[in-house]
Amino acid sequence: MVRRLGAAYNWFDERTAIRSLLRKGLYEAVPVRGAWFYTLGSATLVLILLQLITGIFLTLLYVPSVTEAWASLNYLKAHDAFGSIVRGIHLWSAYILLFVIGLHMVRTFFSGSYKRPRELNWVTGVGLFLLVLVMAITGAFLPWDQAAYWTAVVVTNVPSYTPVIGPFLRALWRGGDFVGPITLSRSFGIHVWLIPAILFPLIGAHLALLRKHGEFGSYINYRGAYRSREGVDVPPAPVQRPIEPPYPAVPTDELWAAPLETEDFYPHQTFKDGVISAALVVLVFILAVAIGAPLEAIADPSTTSYTPVPEWFFLPLDELLVLVPQQLIPLVLVLPAGGVLLLLALPFIDRGPERNPFERPAVMVPGAFAVLFVVILTLLGSGRLFNL
Amino acid sequence: MAHRDPRRLSRRQFAVLGTQLAGAVVAVLLGIPIVGFLISPLFRREQVVWREVGDIARVPDAEPTKFDVSFPQQAWTQVDIKAAVYVVKRNGNTRVFSNVCSHMQCPVRWETTLGQFLCPCHGGLYDMDGTNVGGPPPKPLPQFVHRIDGTTLFVQNRFTEEI
Repeated sequence: MVRRLGAAYNWFDERTAIRSLLRKGLYEAVPVRGAWFYTLGSATLVLILLQLITGIFLTLLYVPSVTEAWASLNYLKAHDAFGSIVRGIHLWSAYILLFVIGLHMVRTFFSGSYKRPRELNWVTGVGLFLLVLVMAITGAFLPWDQAAYWTAVVVTNVPSYTPVIGPFLRALWRGGDFVGPITLSRSFGIHVWLIPAILFPLIGAHLALLRKHGEFGSYINYRGAYRSREGVDVPPAPVQRPIEPPYPAVPTDELWAAPLETEDFYPHQTFKDGVISAALVVLVFILAVAIGAPLEAIADPSTTSYTPVPEWFFLPLDELLVLVPQQLIPLVLVLPAGGVLLLLALPFIDRGPERNPFERPAVMVPGAFAVLFVVILTLLGSGRLFNL
Repeated sequence: MAHRDPRRLSRRQFAVLGTQLAGAVVAVLLGIPIVGFLISPLFRREQVVWREVGDIARVPDAEPTKFDVSFPQQAWTQVDIKAAVYVVKRNGNTRVFSNVCSHMQCPVRWETTLGQFLCPCHGGLYDMDGTNVGGPPPKPLPQFVHRIDGTTLFVQNRFTEEI
């Protein structure tokens, strides 16, 4: 029996080269020190896959129509306990995904991993972050309860303050002057097809670049970390492991070319990745069962008692909407757009070889202020809305 | 190699141009209908209707009073959608406001204690005449196109000014 299976595997391998594919996939050299911090990328991927799976199954019931969307989810809530858990997983893994993708970006920023030759790893990552944000925003429209409706109204109204083409952009997203049936259809299409069709290939590109250049890790993995310390000798250049040669893919500063100590991706890094991802999935499951996904009363444009509260990830922008005076409303668009441009430009601005965050104050200090700015806006917003 | 007229296409150049042309044909034939489909709702006239709001004879002076009215949801949806109408009588004038904030289109409400319209989203304030008097709203509160037959108010599902 075992011999038969072996023979079948050989037959399959002869036709697909599965053996060398697996070998290539699993036995990459990865840095040893600090490896728990390098689990955030795989956790992001696992949470996105959770979104994909639960999202696919939610379409087996959900109806994207202004008269049926709320009713279909209300039916789910009332009559389908397991379906409600699936929806709960979809919501809570989205929330945790936004948080983890933020941590992943902060870690990459801190460690200077975006430097040559990994600039495009960072650029594709920023793209993925923005696409995930669009997913989160369009996903928030779909239940068509009060929260969803007013989120749709406010969010689709923001682009209307773009100079010259603002009203056109708003009407394009809404499919008319006001939020209505076409708004929901378009946002559903964007959420389930348009963005995923871009997102998943971009994940492929992000991972292909990761494999091409190898996991950077952080400065503690490199000879460069020893250079500036007095009385400490720079260790000799590491011997390249024969099995997988991601380091260095491109000739770069020799001090930062290859980590001093590496081990195999499988099973050493996959163990750490697995522990973190499984812990997050358990957390998502607990939140999905214990709290679940809320569904408020059906959308009612005529309300004069409902107070719209933005999704938590929209809070910084919502607070900007409060703080920016009426003559300067386009600032609400200019500030985030400027932030995105700076993020995209980061690897091309910060180009020196130094990776140690404590030796890069020109980047770390403005970065810290930017994060602080967003955190303060979030705190002000939560204070205003929840009387904290 | 035989002498070749440089003004004439080589076999290779012809194949390159042909490939690019084939791609361009596909892009144009797909692009035109898709872009047209995306922007077509922008050029579609929305259905404008008159709806009866009710008898406003008993609306007290200087006290914004809310009515509900149903409008078509546009596109293919047959079920109407509710809209709020604030009727304000003052100094012999009758104004008919929507509850749509001019800032981010949140649902504005009349706050008796403030004596102002308040937008709960970002703290916009309007006085009884609909003038934006505080917070971020850049324009006054939108007013419905309306007519009054005797004491019965009718409104259209459009505003006097674009918002």
